[in-house]
Amino acid sequence: MFSVRLIMRAVSLAALLGLAGCDGITDDLRPSGDDNRPVVEEGILGTQVGQISPDFSMLDSLGNTRGLYDELSTSTGVVLYFTMWCPICDTHMSHMRSEVMPNFPTVQFFLVDFVSGSVAASRSAQLSSGYGGIETLVDSDQALYGSYDASMGTTVVIDSAGNIVRMNEDYKDGVKLTETLQALP
Amino acid sequence: MKKMKAIPCTSVQVTSGLLLGAAFLFSSPVWSASCCGGGSATSLILPKFSKSMVNIAFDIESYDGYWDGDGIYRNDQPGDDLNQYRLNLGYAHRLSPRWQAAIVAPYVWNSNQYSGLSSNTNGLGDMTLGLTYEAFDGIKCVWKVRDWKDLIPAAYFGVALTVPTGISPYDDVANNFDITGRGFYRLDGNVLIDKTIYPWNASLLFSYGKYLERDVNTEYGKAVEPYKKELGDRMLGTATFGYTHFLDNMDTMTFSLSYSHLQEDEVSYDGRPYAGSEIEKNSVGAILAYSTMNRDWVYKLNFSHAFPEDGQGQNFPVTDIVTVGVSHVFR
Repeated sequence: MFSVRLIMRAVSLAALLGLAGCDGITDDLRPSGDDNRPVVEEGILGTQVGQISPDFSMLDSLGNTRGLYDELSTSTGVVLYFTMWCPICDTHMSHMRSEVMPNFPTVQFFLVDFVSGSVAASRSAQLSSGYGGIETLVDSDQALYGSYDASMGTTVVIDSAGNIVRMNEDYKDGVKLTETLQALP
Repeated sequence: MKKMKAIPCTSVQVTSGLLLGAAFLFSSPVWSASCCGGGSATSLILPKFSKSMVNIAFDIESYDGYWDGDGIYRNDQPGDDLNQYRLNLGYAHRLSPRWQAAIVAPYVWNSNQYSGLSSNTNGLGDMTLGLTYEAFDGIKCVWKVRDWKDLIPAAYFGVALTVPTGISPYDDVANNFDITGRGFYRLDGNVLIDKTIYPWNASLLFSYGKYLERDVNTEYGKAVEPYKKELGDRMLGTATFGYTHFLDNMDTMTFSLSYSHLQEDEVSYDGRPYAGSEIEKNSVGAILAYSTMNRDWVYKLNFSHAFPEDGQGQNFPVTDIVTVGVSHVFR
């Protein structure tokens, strides 16, 4: 009986240690505040901060073709917010709609739907999530998602003067987005 | 006759302890929704008069829309099928007659299908280390209330540390549906009050958790300008009410119902509170447990349900969780 107990305890401990020793252990145990952003070459075509955004053209959720530089020609900047219609995205989008967008009427805001896969599905998600009032680009093949090295909640700001990417990171609490838009020429 | 009564009473206490352990570990909404990480339990409770316990459980969690920031329920899109599966391994060990320690390690599988995207990831979840003090020495269950002392409940006071061993948004993942942990250390203080008056049982669990602020320099695999982030304080309350039926062979079947409320305060970035990021979830649960005569094996089936209705949550996924588990107690 003693040996059975010993074996079961040993197996349990080994299983726990085995799990702890696998590749799930991450840097979260000792978070770093070091700035590890790579140095990017500014002023060239690219999608990172300081670079000139390449043009793109894609359908919005109403089926209209929208081009980046067409939008920039009639606005002081373009904001892209990458959404997958989840609770965290909703928190960001709700905040952006109520606290940011009203203060920048000359900026064109777009939600970028990279999960729905079609215009019809994207429009359905947009309406059922309560964001029918914000224009939405349908990134059906995740071209923008890949081009901007985006993820859920990524917010990109592109200005009209030099077509420079001013911001490309998570929305967080919207403070940096507001500061970036205030600094637009 | 006296001895015959003493056995089941003790058994009820032991079974109750196991179920309370289950309540700690499984029936509470443990922030395990598929878009918010997973696997982090509050703690694991060892029954009185036992030396150690091994617990294995498998969770199946299905995503069914979410509540937005105004508490309005938002349904999934046609074609969406979002699930998370978790294998929870736990071990509890008695340190002294009144003190016990526990460790829980989850392994998490995410399986998500959107209309235009599918993803499948897996990894270790956030582990939990627990230390619990039992504020009683004897069995607190009674057959009949003869004196006011018979009404004294069993009380457990514990602390639990959640260790961010899972895959978080600050690791190399594409989005929040691929994570297996939240990425933050959290220290919980837990109070569990339990009373059994045979065959009925009632318990109350209250847990208050404080996340530790951390540095962030990576988001979803991309290096970003470093900042500090802290999740809001967490509160969990669970009330459970159960009935135990003794079978002819003295095995027991226990059926319990529970109600849980979970909330977290707003997130802070560099010390700035982010208004509107608060989280809330209400849920109900049903637990069916079968225990062998000598109470060293307990088999559990648990169902946790969140109501897909307005006002039952905020900024949180609506999920149903089915848990199948087994505990083995060493005496």
